[in-house]
Amino acid sequence: MREVFFYLFAFLSVAFAVISVTHKNVIKGGVSLLASFVSLGAVYFTAGAEFIGIVQVIVYGGAIVVLYLFALMTMDLKSFGKEPLRTLSVAVGGAISLILFASILYAGYKFYSSGITAGISGAEEIALPLFYRFLLPFEVVSVLLLVATVGAVAVGRREE
Amino acid sequence: MTPFDFFVLSGLLFTVGLFGVIVRRNVISLFFSLELLLNSANVLLVGFSKLHGNLFGEVFVFFVLAVAAAEAAVGLAIVVALYRYRKSVNTEDFSLLRW
Repeated sequence: MREVFFYLFAFLSVAFAVISVTHKNVIKGGVSLLASFVSLGAVYFTAGAEFIGIVQVIVYGGAIVVLYLFALMTMDLKSFGKEPLRTLSVAVGGAISLILFASILYAGYKFYSSGITAGISGAEEIALPLFYRFLLPFEVVSVLLLVATVGAVAVGRREE
Repeated sequence: MTPFDFFVLSGLLFTVGLFGVIVRRNVISLFFSLELLLNSANVLLVGFSKLHGNLFGEVFVFFVLAVAAAEAAVGLAIVVALYRYRKSVNTEDFSLLRW
């Protein structure tokens, strides 16, 4: 059953990602990106990473994509203009992407036969390495978030 | 579900994201593609965390999420400020520093 849901949500997340990248309307692209992130959270759930799945839905779906959509609301969507599809950039982008995809598959091929340990990792299991072994990076991340908030306010402020 | 499936999913997301970064000219769409690139790395970190049976990969995913949130906030502030000056979010209109 886990396998079925893993493949289902993996397919959904990739399909919505394709829509979000290729869609002309940015709002629809953002909403489909939201669907892609929520499906990815479900993929984490099927793999047993429960805490990461919940945080994925809350932070990516609830905070980041909604932040993008709010910022889009302050802009005039009609002024965005057309994006002409240039054959050269599509060809170059497709070629580079396919080469990278092939090399990622080549790198992962030696893990083809090994199985994964299906432990459930909720908040309690994550807390132990996070607050003992990685306590200093955790504190540094809090400083980073503070700096990012102050920086975002300073950059986005209207000049007098 | 083997670790190779995580490789395939991560590779597909990375491919889609990289294609978007190269092809799109709208800055907001570029941000969407960047988020996809970060997420493909997260998928692989979770997969390796489950393969090795320890949780260090998932802790790293947590840090990646925090950095992605910071990047989204600062990047959007820059885009909104640029939009205020140029009335555009097309990267071809932001050629002030190009020779």
